[in-house]
Amino acid sequence: MQVRQRSENARRRMRWLAMPMVAALLLAACATAPPAAPAAPAATSAPAATEAPAATAAPTADAAAAPTNTPIPPAPTPAPGRFTYWGGLIFSDVANKMLEDRIKQWGKEKGVEVDVVMINQNETVAKVSAAVESGAMPDALDMGTGLMQTLSKNGQLEPLDDIFKKIGDDNGGWLDSAAASVDPKVYGGNIWGIPFGLSGNLINRRDDLLSAKGFTEAPKTWEELGKMAEAVNDPPKVFGMGFALSNVGDGNLMQTIMQTYGGRIADDEGKNCTIDSPETRTFLEWVTGLYKKGLFPPGATTWDGAGDNKAFQAGEAAFIANPGSVYLNLRENDPDLLAASKFSGLPAGPKMTLQPYGPNVRAIPVKSDKKELAKDLLAYLADPEFMQQYYANAIYGPVLKNQLGFAVFKDSVIHVGLLDMAQNGTAPAFPDVNNPAFNEFTSNFPIPKMIQRVVVDNLSIDDAVKETQAACQLIYDKYK
Amino acid sequence: MAEPAALSTRASAKKPRITLRRRNSLLGYALVAPIILCLLVLVVYPFIFGVAISFTDREVGTEGNFIGLANFIYLSKVPSFQKSIINTIVLVFWVQLLKLVLGLSIAILLNQAIRGRKLWRGMVLLPWAMPAFVAYLTWQLLYAPQGGAFNLISVGLGFGKIDFLSKDLAMPSVIFATFWRGFPFWVISFLAALQSVSQELYEAAAIDGANAWQRFRHITIPAILPVVLVVVLLSTIWTTNGFENVWLITQGGPSDATMTFPVLAYFGMQTMRIGEAAAVSVTLLPIFAIMAFVGVKVLERD
Amino acid sequence: MLNKLTAGQKIFAYACLLLLAIVIVFPIYYMVTVSLKLPRDIYRVPSLLPVNPTLKNYTDLITKQDFLLNIRNSLIVATAATVVSVFISTLAAYSLTRLQYRGRSWVGRLILFSYLTPAALLFIPLAVIINRLQLGNTLHGLIFTYLTFAAPLSTWLLMGFFRGVPVDLEEAAMVDGATRLVSLFRILLPVIAPGIVAVSVFTFTGAWNELLLAMIFITSKDLRTIPVALQYLITGDVFRWGLIMAGAVMAAVPIMLLYYLSQRFVVAGIGAGAVKT
Repeated sequence: MQVRQRSENARRRMRWLAMPMVAALLLAACATAPPAAPAAPAATSAPAATEAPAATAAPTADAAAAPTNTPIPPAPTPAPGRFTYWGGLIFSDVANKMLEDRIKQWGKEKGVEVDVVMINQNETVAKVSAAVESGAMPDALDMGTGLMQTLSKNGQLEPLDDIFKKIGDDNGGWLDSAAASVDPKVYGGNIWGIPFGLSGNLINRRDDLLSAKGFTEAPKTWEELGKMAEAVNDPPKVFGMGFALSNVGDGNLMQTIMQTYGGRIADDEGKNCTIDSPETRTFLEWVTGLYKKGLFPPGATTWDGAGDNKAFQAGEAAFIANPGSVYLNLRENDPDLLAASKFSGLPAGPKMTLQPYGPNVRAIPVKSDKKELAKDLLAYLADPEFMQQYYANAIYGPVLKNQLGFAVFKDSVIHVGLLDMAQNGTAPAFPDVNNPAFNEFTSNFPIPKMIQRVVVDNLSIDDAVKETQAACQLIYDKYK
Repeated sequence: MAEPAALSTRASAKKPRITLRRRNSLLGYALVAPIILCLLVLVVYPFIFGVAISFTDREVGTEGNFIGLANFIYLSKVPSFQKSIINTIVLVFWVQLLKLVLGLSIAILLNQAIRGRKLWRGMVLLPWAMPAFVAYLTWQLLYAPQGGAFNLISVGLGFGKIDFLSKDLAMPSVIFATFWRGFPFWVISFLAALQSVSQELYEAAAIDGANAWQRFRHITIPAILPVVLVVVLLSTIWTTNGFENVWLITQGGPSDATMTFPVLAYFGMQTMRIGEAAAVSVTLLPIFAIMAFVGVKVLERD
Repeated sequence: MLNKLTAGQKIFAYACLLLLAIVIVFPIYYMVTVSLKLPRDIYRVPSLLPVNPTLKNYTDLITKQDFLLNIRNSLIVATAATVVSVFISTLAAYSLTRLQYRGRSWVGRLILFSYLTPAALLFIPLAVIINRLQLGNTLHGLIFTYLTFAAPLSTWLLMGFFRGVPVDLEEAAMVDGATRLVSLFRILLPVIAPGIVAVSVFTFTGAWNELLLAMIFITSKDLRTIPVALQYLITGDVFRWGLIMAGAVMAAVPIMLLYYLSQRFVVAGIGAGAVKT
């Protein structure tokens, strides 16, 4: 009782004093954040010190060794002279290792200390966001063109027009597809990334099941694919349509199919949404019709990125769309199923054929203090001998003309498909305008959501289309 | 009672005779200083930063311009956002209710004289003992309509296939997985609280003729109440901010049936519009603030 | 509460425990099953029992993925974060429940409010701070950032435990001439030992399993913690299920061991507390 009274009294009296004190503390902590560096970590490092040195020893030892053999002018970065590269981690361990070794080899030749880290591509956006904001970007890194678009728009990338031209000249010229994927007209006047591989979806189909029903050829149109899927549909053992309808990247294949039906996200200026069209409705009726016939595996509306892989590898899907990881996995783990599978390009819609390629590029952050070195590395990595070996292990289509003759593009069924895509495929977003609004729209997965609205919530086709149109316009309006 | 006069004489005295009270308050500041310093650097500044950018159109790599409430106005129009408000409340409410009722029951059960108590207690910790994302990936495997373990069982038992991630079942499925992963924290907190209740109190009460319920009602509950309240408060915040449960099991689907705030914020981050993504998180803050306010009031009542 | 139970109560208790065991263990059992399967069988032969069981995933994880290094990193980070966090939180919780001074309730509130902030909101500004402190891509930086979630949680929980202990306990000691700090360490700590152990287990587990911050602040391969290493087994749309599950099983073992061992101290703590009173 007494204690309580006392404290209340004190609180009442001293409130006006306490406030400035807290404010002062706060100010002091914030204002001195950088110089306070030794103070703050000291508290934490003490208990860790017993074990931590082992972990930190390696980098410091390297850093100490670095100055002796680096001809690079010292830079005000944490480790002067060190060159960092963030590679995109892909499924093939061999390919990852190859890239790492190649970059280290370059470092040795140039006398540069190199750190190569393979970054999980699922986390690239979060990692790059934090790195840009905190000034911890590497000297060069791999990314997709979506990220390249955002970063270049915000002035975070170095223009690479000169080195792009040089690499093209040295290697027989760029393929049209690769050049289009970094087209300065799309990305605000400059080339911001050097393409090193095109990825894209191919149709994987169960030839054994389909041949038994008389379908020996790959489907020419989506309509035909649907019919073939229906013919072999045998739930719950096999489902015809192993395509994701969920909120993941794979679900956006539906957007591509919608475009082949003549549906469009936005007008030719890329300003106003035009989803609400008869073409979109035709597409939506087609796909939801197939769903209602039970051709999609249950769960397709909540699949993660691996849902279709899983279904196909479990032998439960007759058709899926996949960038080649299933092929690699089957080659390694399930030769029987591989022998029963065939691969082909995406079929045509009533209005057009779309085979979108997703370019993977290497870019140089504008904050790097080793831009010339980085450019040199990018040229070094385009070396045909290296790329020939690299493509044999990585599932990418070619980007340069001298790569067309690589053996792998004749020998491996997947690479044959990717080569075809590189030569005859379509640019990302095409026929829509590839702009930041489109980018944001796509990353929210509204087209698979539109399908979910019909098949999950039993919304009418008309309402689903109108709702999606409104949601789309909301996004596009932000970019006006 | 220390009067202002006393305070000023003390302050001006050459050789202050430090009173017990003053020493106590100095000690008080000294003991909270480390945590306050850490939190100012690690939380308060980032927090202010986060709230500030939610009023801007900041993207990664730009400074952003002040746009007032535009982010919030935009969000309020997004259909997924509206659904996520209800979903987040439903998810958190059920998960917390399950955890409270079952967590407390299990803690009391494990506090009895049962055989192999140590092993049972260790077992309760299992769901908590592995990285959350692996736990939720496992639940995704269990729920999978094709080849999922639950469906293997249900078909084996003759119930046929159940789509655990369909529109109606997706939310209960996510709730149960979230409960499974989160309840060990409650059980162990409650268990620890139960164990610090003095045995003598029970013995004394038993001598006075109090039955088990009376002892529970009048000794156990008051003794563990502070810990229970804190656990409810902290875990509610935790669960509300949870991302992996929904993301790994349903991606917010089907058709937004499990869309929650953190998943929306994640979508926002993917386009690097960090102002807008921050706004999603900031929307939650008033709710948290009310919860925290109530919690503080209740806790400071004693 | 530790009374003898009647036969009926016993049956009920064990029935509940059995049900609980099934609910808890089944998902874990399934993980172990997957971890013992070959990649092909995971997809082709979904089953409740392991088909062609093999330890290949475990050996691959250790020999090819350097998983022991990840375990070591997690051990360092979790241990250090726990020690620091529990230490500063115990002091703070004591101060906030037992000492009178102006601004005390505001300090308590600040600590609580700091817990409200979603990690998604924090991680970018936190990255800025960590890099300014030159702690980017270090285990020290990670330990430091883990205080964001560990310290407020520990403080608040410990405050609950301190509140549960009657004040007369220490006042009696102080009458005997013990100073406050001495009474904290000699009298109070043994009584709230279960709380300290519980809080330590939470902090350790939280740090051991934390993914988001570790993923963003740690770049070098040889500094990755367990969750980051497991996350890296998912490349694009390929999940190396067998390896992931094997890693999860291995990650759980130290936590179980820790808890099993620490229970002894919980009991000891009560004993000590009882003797003192």
